[in-house]
Amino acid sequence: MTEMTRREAIALTSAAIAGVTIGGPAWAEAAPKRGGTLRISAPANPSSLDPATGGAGSDHAFLFTMYDTLIEWDFETLAPKPGLAESWKFTDPNTLVLDIRTGVTFHDGTPLDAEAVKFNLERNKTDQKSNIKADLVSVASVEVSGPMQVTLKLSAPDTALPLILSDRAGMMVSPAALKAAEGGTVARKPVGAGAYTFISWADGERIVVKRNEKYWKPNRPYPDGIEFAIIPELTTGARSVTAGQNDLIYQLPPRQKAILDRVSSVKVVHGPTLYVIQIFLNWAKPPFDNPKVRQAFNFAIDREAFVKAALAGLAEPAYMNLPKAHWAYDKSVAGLYPYDPDKARKLLAEAGFKDGLAIDLVGYPDQDSVQRQEILIEQLRKAGMNVRFANAPIAEASAAFFASEKRGSGLLAAWTGRPDPSLTYSLMFTKDAYFNAGRAPVPPELEAAIKESRASEDIELRRKAFATVQRLVMENAFVAPLAFQYELVAMNKKVQGYRPNLLGKPKYDDVWLES
Amino acid sequence: MARRSPVRVVGSRLLQALPVIVLATFMVFALLKLVPGDVAVTLAGDNASDARIAEIRHIYGLDRPFLVQYGVWLGKVVQGDLSQSLLTGEQVATSIGRAFPNTLLIVVIALILALLAGIPMGVIAAIKPNGWVDKAVSMIASLGVAIPGFWLAMILVAEISLRLNWLPATGAKSFTVSPIEAIRHAMLPGIAIAAYGMAEVARQLRGSLLEVLSSQYVRTLHAKGLSMSRILWQHGLKNVSVNLFTIVSLLVNRMLAATVVVEAVFAIPGLGSLIVRGAIQRDFPIVQGVVFTMVIVVILVNLITDLLCAAVDPRIEQ
Repeated sequence: MTEMTRREAIALTSAAIAGVTIGGPAWAEAAPKRGGTLRISAPANPSSLDPATGGAGSDHAFLFTMYDTLIEWDFETLAPKPGLAESWKFTDPNTLVLDIRTGVTFHDGTPLDAEAVKFNLERNKTDQKSNIKADLVSVASVEVSGPMQVTLKLSAPDTALPLILSDRAGMMVSPAALKAAEGGTVARKPVGAGAYTFISWADGERIVVKRNEKYWKPNRPYPDGIEFAIIPELTTGARSVTAGQNDLIYQLPPRQKAILDRVSSVKVVHGPTLYVIQIFLNWAKPPFDNPKVRQAFNFAIDREAFVKAALAGLAEPAYMNLPKAHWAYDKSVAGLYPYDPDKARKLLAEAGFKDGLAIDLVGYPDQDSVQRQEILIEQLRKAGMNVRFANAPIAEASAAFFASEKRGSGLLAAWTGRPDPSLTYSLMFTKDAYFNAGRAPVPPELEAAIKESRASEDIELRRKAFATVQRLVMENAFVAPLAFQYELVAMNKKVQGYRPNLLGKPKYDDVWLES
Repeated sequence: MARRSPVRVVGSRLLQALPVIVLATFMVFALLKLVPGDVAVTLAGDNASDARIAEIRHIYGLDRPFLVQYGVWLGKVVQGDLSQSLLTGEQVATSIGRAFPNTLLIVVIALILALLAGIPMGVIAAIKPNGWVDKAVSMIASLGVAIPGFWLAMILVAEISLRLNWLPATGAKSFTVSPIEAIRHAMLPGIAIAAYGMAEVARQLRGSLLEVLSSQYVRTLHAKGLSMSRILWQHGLKNVSVNLFTIVSLLVNRMLAATVVVEAVFAIPGLGSLIVRGAIQRDFPIVQGVVFTMVIVVILVNLITDLLCAAVDPRIEQ
């Protein structure tokens, strides 16, 4: 009762002195409180709750609550920082030493030590069911070099590893639980060392976790537990928050903002992410086998207008695959493709398409995608490109474009970010990468620069290598990036301490609930 | 006119249902396999290479011939095993067991509401055909048929849950844990589906009642001095009950189908949501399991309808 009165007093004071500069916002003084259940509307059923066997980028929102990673990242810049590994060091370019935090246990009581880390990394690298073998391809062996120290011997220098260990590959699962599990996966009975322990998962319906009382981070987590209600229809999910049945919803489309801004009981938070809406190009087949056509395509798109019209302004125009806030962003690349339909026409004429050109693209049939397509069709038409979209559900369109059928010349979709940019580039712009739809070769200097970006630990050297990578990708116009969509999260007013992050996959580290 | 015993009738009907089940599940399976894209791409994860996807296909047996895959599935079903989700590993029977009651509750509520509103409407419209009551009923019925269920559903949520806060906007509760909460959650989706049913019941009932009331034996009953209400309740409705049973059985089937959309609007984890998720992710055991369940429900509903019709009208031979 006194607590309530105090907070009310703070609120009143802050209202009274609004306009007067004080040390900080008044609400920051309210101390986080323990207790309460955080009810979240989640847009997708996870593919698996075992970090090694799952596949969908949307799984992380659940996984991060139950599994801690060896390395973590800074919310604003994605720079690596200590997690379960309290420190790490490249003793030479081919050796990475991780010092594991002492006193951490898994939810089942198994100690998290060097042996457990070795077990996990080897499983992720070699297990038949592991989907993240490729992430650890540079790791030749994992050695226990002390009770709380592991040494990774690398087959080639790979400074992307620390950030790779901030994702699935670094999520530690209890070895005891894995050994006891049927089929060797904990897909339905996750046991990690994260802030919350698993209670139940009803497919397509609900996931429940409760506070890990022995969590290593002091005073965390604040809520007693989290209940995820799985609601694929985002409009319905947003309604469940305005109606007070849930506390928070993430991954909202921009068009929801105007609706939610009118609801007084709900606050909306947004921030930039690596999630980039882009058109993948197949540069193995006409017309995009001609670099001039690809460049013309990029000149023909008015990204500022696209952001305003298609994304309600809640995005950053994308001229490459990294947003401004990222540590490896290179400003000079951003100026390569200003909106210039005349230049586009000229390039088309040089490529032999003086009278214009018909281009077949593939897309998705949902409301947002179709709206984006309409805007793009109009923009490209002005530059002499007559674009047609053949739409199909995500699984079908994506498989038809990237796998063997090779339908269409481009795909309007999105690239969800990777913690380390070298992954983004090697997964799309190396010869045999799946997301290089034509499996066509790239300039050798691009492959070399991608390799270079993983060779040094020095952040300046890495930044320089990524500048080269970004420049080469965009000069060759292997992709048409459009916009970095903001993370849009809506919550009712008792939810405090939520911060968006640059990866765009929500973490609830500091969230607490006002009673 | 020796009638066959109901037990034998039921037995032979169930036997006839077997080919229907096999055919329906086979066709759905074939459709799923004809559509490009398969669950292996989802299973392989975001970073997958072609080789990894091929490997996944092999691990999960997705590279085996089409008929073999169907045969394996059918073989398990015969042993009472609906197999498990390829993606998440949950037993399909578990998923269905959890989802089915949610869908069933909506359909039952919708059916009750449709009958409660539709029968009186049909009757009063038939008593004075072409009167203003009849015209009003026709108009309401036309609206009921014309208004899309999902639109009505959204209007109901906006008004009744978000503005008036009378009923919850989303989700479902278990009937066995808390019947009242479960019904509260199922009420709005039930109403959204019931609108069509009400219109259908009212129109069909009016039509068949008019036919009965204009027949010669009713004229005789009038001549004998029976009151209108006795004619209606004792003779009229009894004679249209066969039509009514048939309408209800068709409605149940249609309502089951309508839940697919309405469950999405209300975020109800029912059979409709389940089959949509299964189809989008190409998780064929889920789709097959739901189709299997639906086929059985439809067959059972038709069977019960036929038995009821035969019970009220001895002329109907099984």
